[in-house]
Amino acid sequence: MVRHPDPPMTGRATVLRRLTRWCLAPLPAPPVTLRRGPLRPGVFRSRLRSTRLTGQLGVALGVAFAICFATGLLSHLIQHPPGWFWWPARPVGLYRFTQGLHVATGLASIPLLGAKLWSVYPRLFSWPPVRSIAHAAERASLGLLVAAALFLLVSGVLNISRWYAPMPFFFTAGHYWVAWLAVGGLLVHIGVHLPAVRAALVRPVGEPRQDGLNRRTLLGGVAAASGLVTLTTVGQTIRPLTGLAVLAPRHPDVGPQGLPVNRTAAGAGVRAAALDPAYRLRVTGEGRSVSLDLAALNRLPQYTAELPIACVEGWSATGTWTGVRLGDLVALVGADPRRSSAWVESLQVDGAYRACTVPPEHVGDPLTLVALRLGGEPLHLDHGYPARLIAPNRPGVLQTKWLSRITVAGTG
Amino acid sequence: MKTRTVLVVGGCLLMAYAVVGALTDTDLTPGGVLLFLAAVLVVHDVVWMAAVLAVGVALTRVPSRYRPTIRAAVITVAAVTVVGLPLALGFGRAADNTSVLPLPYGRNLVAVLLAVAATTLLVCVVRRRQAVRNPKDPPSGAR
Repeated sequence: MVRHPDPPMTGRATVLRRLTRWCLAPLPAPPVTLRRGPLRPGVFRSRLRSTRLTGQLGVALGVAFAICFATGLLSHLIQHPPGWFWWPARPVGLYRFTQGLHVATGLASIPLLGAKLWSVYPRLFSWPPVRSIAHAAERASLGLLVAAALFLLVSGVLNISRWYAPMPFFFTAGHYWVAWLAVGGLLVHIGVHLPAVRAALVRPVGEPRQDGLNRRTLLGGVAAASGLVTLTTVGQTIRPLTGLAVLAPRHPDVGPQGLPVNRTAAGAGVRAAALDPAYRLRVTGEGRSVSLDLAALNRLPQYTAELPIACVEGWSATGTWTGVRLGDLVALVGADPRRSSAWVESLQVDGAYRACTVPPEHVGDPLTLVALRLGGEPLHLDHGYPARLIAPNRPGVLQTKWLSRITVAGTG
Repeated sequence: MKTRTVLVVGGCLLMAYAVVGALTDTDLTPGGVLLFLAAVLVVHDVVWMAAVLAVGVALTRVPSRYRPTIRAAVITVAAVTVVGLPLALGFGRAADNTSVLPLPYGRNLVAVLLAVAATTLLVCVVRRRQAVRNPKDPPSGAR
């Protein structure tokens, strides 16, 4: 009996195999006369570049981007929670940690990305420029990955410097979607270069001593640069390092009442409404509603909590807040704080952060306050006078200031 | 091979998700994002890399004993400047909010760069003394 050398193929498998063959078929090389300038062989002669160096920088950068993506996605989910998402009220400083880590890791990866792109720069001029359709697709996705990685770091630096003019798009949305683009491009890149990634993680065999020394001193230089960037900025969120944070965009002690401010009362256009003696905070539940002036709020039981303002921009500062528990206000309209969510609105007429939802985990937490005082003094106008929300483990943009209305909804 | 296929296909799907998401996000002008993507790529690959390569060529003239130290200093200066310059330029300052960019960043950036220069000088002096004491040691560093 003679066995058939090729098992019979289904129609789909034939199409797939043909497509693969078409994608991998070599394309004709362009005329050699076009091989000029940086395309010539031997233009880039630095002996510092090596596959191992590129691999090691790539692994470090991959870890940094994974941290940035995970913490950034978390921050996005907290601000725009889908139905399945749940975010606890404790530990109090968890968001402060994750967002501080996001910005610190992004800043520390600037020299890493610089060194990595330098190490692979000669490949931009490889000859022939395109070997096959598959090669062209891989190069295009690599170009997108490089552009996306640069986009994320540059836009991040511009954002913490609050310099928005060079960015012709809404920063938050642009940074978010390009992060997905970068992660997709990174996965494709790792898939294509997986053997090199694996080789970077094991001890090299037969590497000349001098090459190993060169690689290590260069990596040492990159690490020193990352370290200095971190040392001069991370004090904006890590208290003991504040004195060293000479290049931090914020200082945790500088601002009205010793605390930084992101949006001022004048900027939000609420000065007049906040200072109006006729100010009332309206709390509405299902079928019941109360309206409280500042004196009435001050007559309710007061509690004090040490809570941080943790900004999405990576800085954080702790304040001593005093005011009414949000749970007490919710109970005032007959709702159970642990089973209610609250829609909290500012006096601000418009703006992306004029209102937010406080989920039951936070409404029922004894540390969640409608704060009237900061450090024992009535709130500064820029900190949300007459009343603001302050809750544990939440981004600063969701700590709504100049409260005007709280709408309570049961969650069954 | 299977892992690599999963990574490549998964990566392509995420990139497609990013494109669809960006196009359907009403807060976003995709043209602006595309322009910024192209701008950072071109500025990096043409302007920035030309400057980096020029500095690299200049570094080959530094005696090899000092080269790794000077190279580390140059990388550090570049990274610190990328972070510090937008702060020093101060376009983000706001008249009604003194807590935004509250420090004298120009002065601080210069101080940090001077500290890097001083440390580099110190290390080079130590290297030189070591070389004078042990003249047989081969110099380290490469192009």
